[in-house]
Amino acid sequence: MSQFVSQNQQFHREKIMAESFYKSLDIGKDVANTRTLLHEAIPLTGTIVSGTYSDNNIKNYAHGMFQSVYDYPYLSSSANHIFDLTVGVSAQSGLYSSVTSQKSKKLNIYNQMAQVLAGYDHTGSIQRFDQDGNILAGGAKLDNVFFMNFSRLLIKDEIKKGTFELELGVNSDYDQAGVVFTRRIKLTDLSGSNGYLVNSPVGEYGVLYATQSFGTNAVLAANQYYAVGLLFYQAGVAVISGSVFHDAAKGGILHTTNTDSTRLLSTSGYHGLDIVTGSTNEVIADSLRNRIYNVQFNNTVELNSSVYFCRINHNEYNYSTNPTYLSGSKIRVKTQSSDLPVSYITSVGLYNDNNELLATAKLSEPLKKSSDTEFTIRVRLDY
Amino acid sequence: MGFLDNSGDIILDAVLTDHGRKLLAKGDGSFQISKFALADDEINYTLYNATHASGSAYYDVEILQTPVLEAFTDNAGSVKSKLISYGSMNLLYLPVVKINQLNSSTKMHTSGAFIVAVDAETEGTADNVTTYSVGYNAGQPVPGVIFGSSLAGDNRIRLDQGVDSSEISPKERLDPDLIEDSYIIQIDNRLGKIATINGDMVPEDYIDDDNIAYYTVDVGLVSQITDESAGLSEAIAGPRGTRLEFKIAASIDLNTSTFLFSQLGGTSTLEGKAVKHIDSIVRVTGMKTGYSVDVPVRFAKSTIS
Repeated sequence: MSQFVSQNQQFHREKIMAESFYKSLDIGKDVANTRTLLHEAIPLTGTIVSGTYSDNNIKNYAHGMFQSVYDYPYLSSSANHIFDLTVGVSAQSGLYSSVTSQKSKKLNIYNQMAQVLAGYDHTGSIQRFDQDGNILAGGAKLDNVFFMNFSRLLIKDEIKKGTFELELGVNSDYDQAGVVFTRRIKLTDLSGSNGYLVNSPVGEYGVLYATQSFGTNAVLAANQYYAVGLLFYQAGVAVISGSVFHDAAKGGILHTTNTDSTRLLSTSGYHGLDIVTGSTNEVIADSLRNRIYNVQFNNTVELNSSVYFCRINHNEYNYSTNPTYLSGSKIRVKTQSSDLPVSYITSVGLYNDNNELLATAKLSEPLKKSSDTEFTIRVRLDY
Repeated sequence: MGFLDNSGDIILDAVLTDHGRKLLAKGDGSFQISKFALADDEINYTLYNATHASGSAYYDVEILQTPVLEAFTDNAGSVKSKLISYGSMNLLYLPVVKINQLNSSTKMHTSGAFIVAVDAETEGTADNVTTYSVGYNAGQPVPGVIFGSSLAGDNRIRLDQGVDSSEISPKERLDPDLIEDSYIIQIDNRLGKIATINGDMVPEDYIDDDNIAYYTVDVGLVSQITDESAGLSEAIAGPRGTRLEFKIAASIDLNTSTFLFSQLGGTSTLEGKAVKHIDSIVRVTGMKTGYSVDVPVRFAKSTIS
């Protein structure tokens, strides 16, 4: 009894904290903000986009503007959209006047993508895609192009620079049994990791370069890197020149004698991207899709974190409101008042000024807290 | 020569609660983390063995082996039993909150919960006990049945606070800093609301995303226990603090519809009458000590409607 009275007297001397459950965080000292970049490898084998699912993972639309590719038959709830394919032809293209199928759609697609990705010149006119990105210097333009628009699910915040690879089968024969892949070229953003361009309204982009990746004879017209497209890292769009399927005689990059222009459509006499003149977007997307051997890149997620330093002093949080903490009203972990109080931390709650619980964190195992220990628990909240 | 342990601070990944996500989405600045609290929800202190044969290092060996669950995103189900700081390290007794059932008007129903009769038919009247009413028996109010529609009668819920130990005389004064002068009451807002014993409605502080209403109550519902005797009407054996008394008003939904009874409840027999019912709990937490009690409540509606 006297023990209890003495406790009371002690309480009169030692004021109990007004809010003894919650400890305020000093924003200046106890909160830190960090930024972390995370990368994931995204490999897409060609069999997924042509063959594995008998094209049940390919979605075409009545409007005929583009084709969507999924990683599983798209009627399934498990399917994820991975990219879209379409084709664009500039009004300045030599092929444009010959286009007879979906001419306006191909022009509209080109202009739409160009105005978003390449922007406008000082007169307000839409700029065409520049082959090397050096717009002021003029130079070759990409007027007949394929667009691969990757899903946000794959690219997350952006494609990691210097990691993009697209391998295309360029054998001239059209064949669904693998013959198209007996000669291959690989498109990479070769300079992406140490050099990229920033004169686009949608962020950074790099030039895609083509090299021979497979084939017993020379596949390319010359043993060199050919600039054949642009890769917009944040937008997640690859712009691929039609020249990748043309031989040198037709203004492309392929070897004239050993490769010839790639026949994209078996039922047509067209060679290379000449297919754009008489085929629909859907047919052209099918043709390109069947030439994709492999696509891979790393994506980037920008993780912004707040780290809260929860500092627990030796004289804090040594008691519990756990219903099992008391037997009657007596503290179970003490046999006499002079024993040190003990509690066990399993959770940390983060609150606002109204004491509303906004976030929780858990320890992997109970952490013993007594008046002879102090801790700083770092709680990280990612956004 | 071994390396020193450089693991340093403990690093935890936090998850937003559903309420946190809601406030973040509102974008009005209410998502502003400014304080923290610690909890020990998984810990069972009865495993603390102060007589372990191997010595004090083994007293808590079973507690330390307790597996910890992943974080819940339900704000109402997380960080429930908080750790608390007291200035003194010499406390041996702490106050508790207990349901006082020692008076006929504060008794729980014999079914093991407080019954809230949600409409007039279920309440009945003293002079007209119908086939459906459960509130009266032989003209007398049935103990443990709260009239949730009219808020009439004396039946109510009473909780007493203090040190519940016969080792200490109730004549001892509880330290003012351990006396609760306000409580938080949590109740499912779809089912009921908190009212004073006079039948006046109490405004809630806020209702969270899980429809749990939070009430902070003090004057009007909380009063000092002045009885220092070891009388039979006191639930607290030792020094006493305050008592909390309140009634529960049925929600409009329960009063006028059986939808929630069909969705959340069942049917049973109460006082010999067939009723639809929903079982719930009302949580009462002391603002100072954090001690909480779950009060079992059954909302009942006669099958007349």
